[in-house]
Amino acid sequence: MPRAKIQKKATHVDMTAMCDVAFLLLTFFILAAQFKPSSAVEVITPNSVSNKHAPEMNYFTVTIDKDNNVYVDMWQTLKAPILKEVGELTNMQFSPADIKAFENTEFVGLPLSQLKQYDALSAEQKDKVKLPGIPYDSTNNQLLTWITAAVKASEGKQTSFLIRGDNATKYTTFKKVLDAFQKNDIYKYNLMTNAEEVPEGSELWKKNMRRIRSGEKPE
Amino acid sequence: MAEMEEKDTSSKKGPGVKKAKKAAMHVDMTPMVDLGFLLITFFIFSTTMSQPTSMNLNMPKDTKDQNQDTKVKESGSLTLMLGKGNVVYYYYGNDLLHLQTTTYKGMRNIILDKKSKTPPEDLFVIIKPDKDASYKNVVDALDEMNIDDISRYAMVDPTADEYSLIQKTEQAAGIQ
Repeated sequence: MPRAKIQKKATHVDMTAMCDVAFLLLTFFILAAQFKPSSAVEVITPNSVSNKHAPEMNYFTVTIDKDNNVYVDMWQTLKAPILKEVGELTNMQFSPADIKAFENTEFVGLPLSQLKQYDALSAEQKDKVKLPGIPYDSTNNQLLTWITAAVKASEGKQTSFLIRGDNATKYTTFKKVLDAFQKNDIYKYNLMTNAEEVPEGSELWKKNMRRIRSGEKPE
Repeated sequence: MAEMEEKDTSSKKGPGVKKAKKAAMHVDMTPMVDLGFLLITFFIFSTTMSQPTSMNLNMPKDTKDQNQDTKVKESGSLTLMLGKGNVVYYYYGNDLLHLQTTTYKGMRNIILDKKSKTPPEDLFVIIKPDKDASYKNVVDALDEMNIDDISRYAMVDPTADEYSLIQKTEQAAGIQ
């Protein structure tokens, strides 16, 4: 009796289709990628139901981390004018090279006395330095200097004043930042948050539903 | 590892004739797929999908002139004091003696309850974060105003009396 032969098949799966999908996804993610800003200052912002995007242009941001250290950063084109104002306020001299170095620095997180020295470092060296934060106590309120400079430099321009605080930031620190802004007659701020769903059934949710039904944009 | 599989090329051609090798082009794509997925994973992790949003905060101008202060009806006011350990203390009007305690979750019902009992033009919520409150607490409270559609609210520092009362309550309740 001839036995039925079991054919040995080579287990060759055709991976072309899978490969296609993989690279399609890859292309999508490369194009959609917006890299996380460098983690020089790590901040976890609280959630809010606000669905307004944070301004991406002409901003001046005050960042407060979980250890209540304060840093500022600003929109690229605002950097040079703000530094000049700081120079005028504190009688410090900034050479064109200093301004150039400042433009290449992302965060300001040092007392003014160490600013030039830090700015001149290369990117790798900057990564190694732990920023101590800008002094903001009442005897040496350099945060106020920066904010005053920012307000002066942005006169006549639409600048958004952003505050980016960490969940664990103390209210007292936040209050000091607000005070520094208020001394410069700035009363409108944007608090950076993470988007969160509006709880179903809440007042805002009902309001949004009414707006959607009447064809308006929800808030 | 690209394989060139040979097909059975036994032919009926004569011995002197060179066999034309027909190679089936089967390229092993496993490493390429591996690489592809590796890169995908990298980009998924490095992409921040959710853009940060921002919440508007408008503070009133500081005035020393008492006539310009916002007048609030006692019957329509609700004061929320944000304390240590995610606890909220609240009282109605000027009735500081009847200080009650709640949490951030329970806050909504209290606000909505007050809202339903008060004419909308009188309703005013006062948020008083004390020294021990965190920034998250403040944002949560302000966010709650948005969620409950409260149009009139203000953020003020607690008075010395209120702060000492909170501290006493905290000590009694053993909140660290």
